[in-house]
Amino acid sequence: MDPMEPFKATFFQECEEQMAELEAGLLALESGEGDGETINAVFRAVHSVKGGAGAFGFDSLVKFAHVFETALDAMRSGALEVEPEAVKIMLRASDVLADHVLEAKGQGQVDCARAQAMAEELAGLTSGGGEPLEEPGDGSVEGEDSFGFTPLMVDLDEAPAARAPQADVEEPGGWRLSFAPTEAMYAKGNDALLLLRELERLGAHDISLESSALPEFDFLNPEASYCKWSARLPGDVPEADIRDVFDFVGDDCPLALIHENELIKGAAPPSLVADLGLAPALASALDDPFATTPAPPPAAPVDVAALLSAARAEAPQPAPKARPAVKDAPAGEELHAGKEAGKAAAVAATIRVDLDRVDRLIDLVGELVINQAMLAQRVSEANLARSSTVAIGLDELEQLTREIQDSVMAIRAQPVKSVFQRMPRLVREIASATRKEVRLVTEGENTEVDKTVIERLSDPITHMLRNAIDHGLESPEERVAAGKPAEGVVRLAALHRSGRIVIEVSDDGRGINRPRVRDIAVSKGLIAADASLTDEEVDNLIFLPGFSTAQTISDISGRGVGMDVVKRSIQALGGRISISSQPGKGSTFTMSLPLTLAVLDGMVVTAAEHTLVAPLTAIVETLRPKPNDVRRLGPRGAVLAVRGAHVPLIDVGVALGWRPNPVDPAAGVTLLVESEVGGRAALVVDAIQGQRQVVIKSLEANYQRVEAIAAATILGDGRVALILDVDAVIDSRFLEKLESQPLAQAS
Amino acid sequence: MELPRILDLGAAGPLWSNLSEHRGGALDLDASKVERIGGLCVQILLAAVRSWRSADKPVRIRDASDAFIACARTLGAMELVELAEAG
Repeated sequence: MDPMEPFKATFFQECEEQMAELEAGLLALESGEGDGETINAVFRAVHSVKGGAGAFGFDSLVKFAHVFETALDAMRSGALEVEPEAVKIMLRASDVLADHVLEAKGQGQVDCARAQAMAEELAGLTSGGGEPLEEPGDGSVEGEDSFGFTPLMVDLDEAPAARAPQADVEEPGGWRLSFAPTEAMYAKGNDALLLLRELERLGAHDISLESSALPEFDFLNPEASYCKWSARLPGDVPEADIRDVFDFVGDDCPLALIHENELIKGAAPPSLVADLGLAPALASALDDPFATTPAPPPAAPVDVAALLSAARAEAPQPAPKARPAVKDAPAGEELHAGKEAGKAAAVAATIRVDLDRVDRLIDLVGELVINQAMLAQRVSEANLARSSTVAIGLDELEQLTREIQDSVMAIRAQPVKSVFQRMPRLVREIASATRKEVRLVTEGENTEVDKTVIERLSDPITHMLRNAIDHGLESPEERVAAGKPAEGVVRLAALHRSGRIVIEVSDDGRGINRPRVRDIAVSKGLIAADASLTDEEVDNLIFLPGFSTAQTISDISGRGVGMDVVKRSIQALGGRISISSQPGKGSTFTMSLPLTLAVLDGMVVTAAEHTLVAPLTAIVETLRPKPNDVRRLGPRGAVLAVRGAHVPLIDVGVALGWRPNPVDPAAGVTLLVESEVGGRAALVVDAIQGQRQVVIKSLEANYQRVEAIAAATILGDGRVALILDVDAVIDSRFLEKLESQPLAQAS
Repeated sequence: MELPRILDLGAAGPLWSNLSEHRGGALDLDASKVERIGGLCVQILLAAVRSWRSADKPVRIRDASDAFIACARTLGAMELVELAEAG
């Protein structure tokens, strides 16, 4: 295995976070909610991606990030206005940057023409569409450029927020820094030139090269590092900005940084001492960080050697690399050691844990729940009094087990934000491909759901959004003609409802064209020409297999996947999807999913001597029907009258092929269940054993898929019980198949 | 001797070898194509200039590109900047 792999994996993980930060920041700027710190955060995100990419030699990613960063820097310095058009370009640039990250990851290829056009657009931003601003460094940016153009940097001296460093003006209270690259730094593809360029952008001056350690040419190792550099920076540059430059070289390039104000006071604050202790190698690498600075400190000189020695004594361990996120604390003020320590503690409050470890923990807790249930069963079989100490202890154990289970599940719970954040890009791309104007509104991004569910949300949401924009929204002209704003609104919302997560995708478009849907369904033979359907039933025809065809699938929403596939994939997760539509006003797709795929609250029932678990979320009520509430329908069918309405009566034992003939519903128990798409049905079982939370064990993973069975579980007595797939059982197609079987086969 | 366009980590070893071959003779460097010099190559060029000078051999950097001068200046290698500007 490549020894760099783990580092790369971490880099890509961080990239994902940075990209999310970037997009969130740009969207905030687009909506006018952003401020200076938002621009800083966006800049830092791109800068971080670039820095990490440089360390791994992802050249094209570095180059594009550099161009992007240059434009963002212009925005940060005020040279480029934060106006909607520029932010839109940057949003599209973030998409291209994401493509570069994917390419570096080996998961795709960047569209070079698109990347080049994007880079040119970004460069156009910084040149103000007219005269290009002068670049502070040389004529080229990081050597040859695959985009065939030279990105233009903003001349910070001319920017409104210019720091105007003047080499010949002595400014007391400035920064002094010294750094000594190591061989390792160069070996990782980093270069002193890049660091110095970044420092120049911050206003570095009096850059001085210290080459006394350089050997004779003949004894020189061309890949070893002998030189060190020192420079001065204006005092108003935030310390974090300077340290950011060295973020990606870390210990490979010891850095000494001091503010002259601290020197003047004659005593460095503890935070500074700690910072000087950041790199223990510093002392040996840098004899005197300021030996090469041209002018002595304006006030009482400080014994830097003593300072370094104090730093070594006080901070023997390298300080954590994580630094406060806020970068522009006013320089020259007292550094708040306590505040920084607080922030460092906040950073340390989260840890990255391998998902496998969390999954293992969840599995073990699942076993604990099963074990606890088995123990409870044994105790109950022993006929101990409920007030006995064993029974009380067991109750406490049960409560504790539940708490542990909830807490462990919470570890894996994540906000749906990670999925929602990918959607604005999708919407932009579809809008541009369909030439529609679309505004995506997201709600409930912080709604939490288990990671196993999150991972599977992306595809259905993607498809529903595609569908909403491509089929739901009208063209801007049609909208205006209909008296609507040219820009359509697509709303993506997440919320918790009755122990499930509900995702809604709604649009303010034309709504479902019911006559057309009906015609298509008739022409495809999906319904009889004279079938009498309610509006809701017509709307739900689009979920029927075979409804989507080449005729109705466009490049955008189609991709060969019909809504029936979406529906089935959602059902496979224990979810449901439904649609409601108002002609001329729009449609809403509602998808509801369990919060986790690991546990389930279920009703344990008996059917034909088998123990089954029915998900509690599907059960509306349980009842014992009176004989005259049951009406026969055809040779084998029956319906149950429930408060004036008739619902199909399904004998679960027969449906699962465990007995040939249905039992008398009046003798058993009936579960009134509801499916969002298939309406209601009454399931006949023999008896109810009780309600409990069960740990879901996948049948597909451990055995194979079984029709009408969602999964399995282990009960307290150690027996395996099957979990009923209620939607599948009451699905009309399943029932028809069942009814078409000869009686003998059903047994 | 013509200096390559990019003088980075990958170019450091070959640059040292190529310069070594000219040991004993004049150091006449054509820097017209240079687009970037990194820290490592600046060290090599500096060491070469000093060694050649101490051996009393002529040293010249001619037709230096703007990028060469800008990089050398950014890196604080004023010896190289002066040589390049003198042509």
